[in-house]
Amino acid sequence: MFSFTKPQHAFELGSITFGGQPGEHPTVLFGGLFFKGVPDFKTASTHLAAMLKIGEETGMPVVPDLFIRKEEYIDPILSFLEQHLPEAHPFSVDIIEPSLKVKVLESLHDHDLLARTIYNSLHIGVTAPERETLKRCTPAMALIVAFNPKDASPDGRIEVLENGAHLLDRGLLAVASSLGIEKILVDTAALAPGENSGAALASLPVVKEEYGLPVGCAIHNVVEKSKWLSRYGSVKATVDVASNAGVALFGGDFALFGPIEHAPVVVPLMAWFDMVVSEYAEAYFGVCPSERHPRRVFYP
Amino acid sequence: MPEPNYPWGGEFTTGPPDGCVAVVLLNIEYTPPPSVAIFGKLKTENIGIEKIVANVISNPHIRFVVVCGEEIRGHRSGSSLLALHRHGIDTHHRIIDAPGAIPYIENLSEDAITRFREQISIIDYISVNDSTRITAEITTLDAQAPPSFGEPYIAIRLRPEATTSIEDARALHAKITIDYLGRVKRRGE
Repeated sequence: MFSFTKPQHAFELGSITFGGQPGEHPTVLFGGLFFKGVPDFKTASTHLAAMLKIGEETGMPVVPDLFIRKEEYIDPILSFLEQHLPEAHPFSVDIIEPSLKVKVLESLHDHDLLARTIYNSLHIGVTAPERETLKRCTPAMALIVAFNPKDASPDGRIEVLENGAHLLDRGLLAVASSLGIEKILVDTAALAPGENSGAALASLPVVKEEYGLPVGCAIHNVVEKSKWLSRYGSVKATVDVASNAGVALFGGDFALFGPIEHAPVVVPLMAWFDMVVSEYAEAYFGVCPSERHPRRVFYP
Repeated sequence: MPEPNYPWGGEFTTGPPDGCVAVVLLNIEYTPPPSVAIFGKLKTENIGIEKIVANVISNPHIRFVVVCGEEIRGHRSGSSLLALHRHGIDTHHRIIDAPGAIPYIENLSEDAITRFREQISIIDYISVNDSTRITAEITTLDAQAPPSFGEPYIAIRLRPEATTSIEDARALHAKITIDYLGRVKRRGE
């Protein structure tokens, strides 16, 4: 368990705070929706309501991460969140295809949703049209993925943030700043087993001490790619949810935990880890938990 | 002793080593015929492609790479592999004209990429999901029985020089120190 010498940024979006010293604010948990197939809004509304409810009960901040795969899904998905997510509650949009990113940003602007949007994500593949659109349609917050295809170490991650690792004209942090994105979360890019998968966790305190920015990752992706775990039946699902604990223990601020249906397990699990981190951080570093921290909820 | 970085890891199945066809599966559930030298799924347009190149050029018997199935949405990995074969990489190591999101080849030398482009012909079956048609194409390619390309090319994974110091047993990384309580500081401050 860590405390950082570098002053730590804490960004607010809606009622959620991202960042700060370990033990100060609970880990923000992103639950993913619409990863596969045609969006099933009925099931999604049930899962979203369940995640919001358990987040409220435990004091854990939860954010739906909306995966948008096709242009024709943009409007239905945005309408869905307008109907089912409390007003001002933040959400993230996860888009891979560069041309689709542009269309989603424009739709978010049209729906007047950019002030609640966490853009997932800005990375070294950023295109000129994407930059242009981000300038016009600027989301309140962005995830910067510190993926460096030539160097999977923490140094490689810092290199892309700092100078673009010769793949960009400048570092990703400067790119974000030039686009007017003020609130930045750094995703330390969890890779597959065999690709220095542990570096995603090891990079959390390194990047946090370097920049004082909120850090996190989708460490569960490593579990998803660990095919050998499938030999042990339900164990894989257990490891998948448990893997998120690494984020809290390594000083991280947020975790993208994968399918939203895992929320009923992931949310209390992370509340528990946040509590033990908070107890230590207060005892040794004098860091008091925030008003809505799970430690205050369960041990008022 | 085999080179410790070879073969490059990944999810693939090997067949007879003297087979002349390798099959890259995009979004498709298909098992190629037993004559195929190696087949597996491609997901990412960077590390995934690097693994294919490294493993294909290690076997000079492979002269054809069939890319089949629905394209990987967003990553456009199949089209990026085709672009690599057609155009190579630019000075920033980006695959020229690749449509994928992050099409960078950073762990292979230019020699390895040149060898890949020269060793194999690529068969563009992107969007083809008909297993009968794919198998028929593989059978046709097998029948051509081209000669081996020559010596294997063992692509050593390029690694940055290690900069991590283990002098401080409590340090997680060379940039930071962590005292016995857990306070993190930049090294040297």
